[in-house]
Amino acid sequence: MTNPLFQFNQVERLILSNVSFNLNEEDRLVIFGPSGSGKSTLLHLFNRMDDPEKGDINFRGDSINQFSIPQLRKQVGLVLQQPYLFQGMVEDNLRFGPDLFQEWDEQLAYRLLDYVNLPNDFISKSVDELSGGEQQRVSLARTLANKPDVLLLDEPTSALDDQNIAAIENDLIDLIERRHLTVVLVTHSMDQAKRIGTKGLYLEEGEIIEQGSIEELLEEPNTPELQAFLNRS
Amino acid sequence: MERDIPTYSLFLLLVFVMIPLTISYYYSLGLKKDIIWSTIRGTAQLFFVGLVLTYLFDLRPIIGIPIMLSVMIIVATFHARKKGEEFPNVFISILSGLVIIELTVLTMWLSFGMISFSPDEVIPMSGMVIGNSMVAMGLALERLKSEFEQNRGQLIAALSLGATPKQAAHLSIKKTLNAALIPNIDQLKTIGLVQLPGMMTGLILGGVAPIVAIKYQLVISISIFSSVSISAIFISMIMYRFFFNQQMQLLKLEDIKKSAND
Repeated sequence: MTNPLFQFNQVERLILSNVSFNLNEEDRLVIFGPSGSGKSTLLHLFNRMDDPEKGDINFRGDSINQFSIPQLRKQVGLVLQQPYLFQGMVEDNLRFGPDLFQEWDEQLAYRLLDYVNLPNDFISKSVDELSGGEQQRVSLARTLANKPDVLLLDEPTSALDDQNIAAIENDLIDLIERRHLTVVLVTHSMDQAKRIGTKGLYLEEGEIIEQGSIEELLEEPNTPELQAFLNRS
Repeated sequence: MERDIPTYSLFLLLVFVMIPLTISYYYSLGLKKDIIWSTIRGTAQLFFVGLVLTYLFDLRPIIGIPIMLSVMIIVATFHARKKGEEFPNVFISILSGLVIIELTVLTMWLSFGMISFSPDEVIPMSGMVIGNSMVAMGLALERLKSEFEQNRGQLIAALSLGATPKQAAHLSIKKTLNAALIPNIDQLKTIGLVQLPGMMTGLILGGVAPIVAIKYQLVISISIFSSVSISAIFISMIMYRFFFNQQMQLLKLEDIKKSAND
C-alpha cells in the first residue's frame, strides 16, 4: 500500500484542535465550514505558511519539517483569495517562481496563459491593465508556473462575479484533470465544492465534524451540525 | 574678516516668533505653548552648544573631537530609534551604523586631504553627516514598516511561491531605499539654484570667499549623499529580517514588537 501524500496527526493550531486526516494523490479535498472555523489556518499548514503547535504532519511519508521550505512550497502551490500580483508585467509574475529555481523558459509562459485561457499577447501587459478575473487567472498561472503536484486553493473565486467564477472553475477542473493534480480547496460555495471536489472535510470551531466523499457529505450528512450548516447555505 | 550679530538684534528675533504665534492665535491652532517652548528650548540648546563648542575647541583635538562625536552619535541614535521601536536591537543597530558611517567618512576626508583634524572643521562637518544619516535611518525604518504592512499579500504570495525572505522582501526593500534616497538625489540636482545650502551660507556670511565655500559645500553634499545611502541600506538590510521567522513565515508588526519586548 502506498503512503498517503499528506497525513495530519492530532494537529493543533490556533482554533484547530485534534485534526487528523489523510490526503491521497489526486484527491480533491474540499475544506468547508462556517466562517472562523479554521479552514484557512488548516490550508496554510500544508505548505508551512504556518506551523502546528501540537501534532505532526507527514508529506510523502516523512515529517513535513524534513523538506526544504522553498522546495516544499514549490511542490505545494498556494492560490490566495486575492490575486496579489507583483508590480510589472504579466511575464514578471509568471516567471517569479521559475526564476527562483532557475527553471524559466519562454515557452512555459505561453503554455501557462493557455492553461488559464488568456491570449498570448497578455504576456507583455501591465498588471494594472487587467480586470479582476484576469488578475486571478494570472495569479493561478503564476502558481502553476512552479509545476506543483498539489494545489491549495484558498477561496480562489470569492472576489469574482458569477460569470468569472464559472469560467475559472471550468479552467481549474480542466487543469486538475490534465495534470493529475492533488487539490485542497477552501470554499464557501457548496456548488463549487460539488463541482471541483471528490472528498470533503467539514470543520466547525476548529474540529473535524465529518469527513468522507463530497457527494455523501452534501447529500446524506450524518451529523446534525453539518445538516444545519447545509440548510443554512 | 569676522562678522557678528549685535545682541540687541538677536532680541528683535522675538518679532519673528510673534508671527507664528499670531497665526496660531488667530486660527486657534492651539500651538501657542509649543511655539513658545520650542523657541526657548532651541535658543537655550544653541547657546549651550556654543559654550560647549568653545570649550571643546580649546581642548586638544584628539580629546575634544571624540567627545563631541560620541555625544552627537548617541543623541542621534536615541532620536532615530523612536521610528523603529518595534524592532529588536534597534538601538545597537542604529548606533553601530552611525559609528561605521562617521568613521568611514572622517577617514576619507582626512586621508584625501579635504579637511584637517581640527574641531572647527571635523565637528560641524560630522554633525551634518550624522544628522542626515539619522534622518535617513528614521525614514527608512518608517517606510520599511509601511511597505511591509501594505504589501503583506504580495509578500505572502512570494513566500508561497518558494521565495526566501530575502527574495520576497526584495521589492519592498527596493521601494524603501527609493523613498529614502530620492529626496537627496533631488536636493543634489537643485543645489545652489533653489536655495544656498546651509553650510555655504554660513561660510559666506563668515567672510569666506564664495568659491572656497563651494568647495566645502561640495565635500559635505557628496559626503552626505553617500552616507545617507549607506544609512538607508544598512538599516533596511538589518531590520527586514525581523519580519520573518526561521520557518520563512511572514510576521506581523505586533508580533515583532512582542518578541522585541520579551
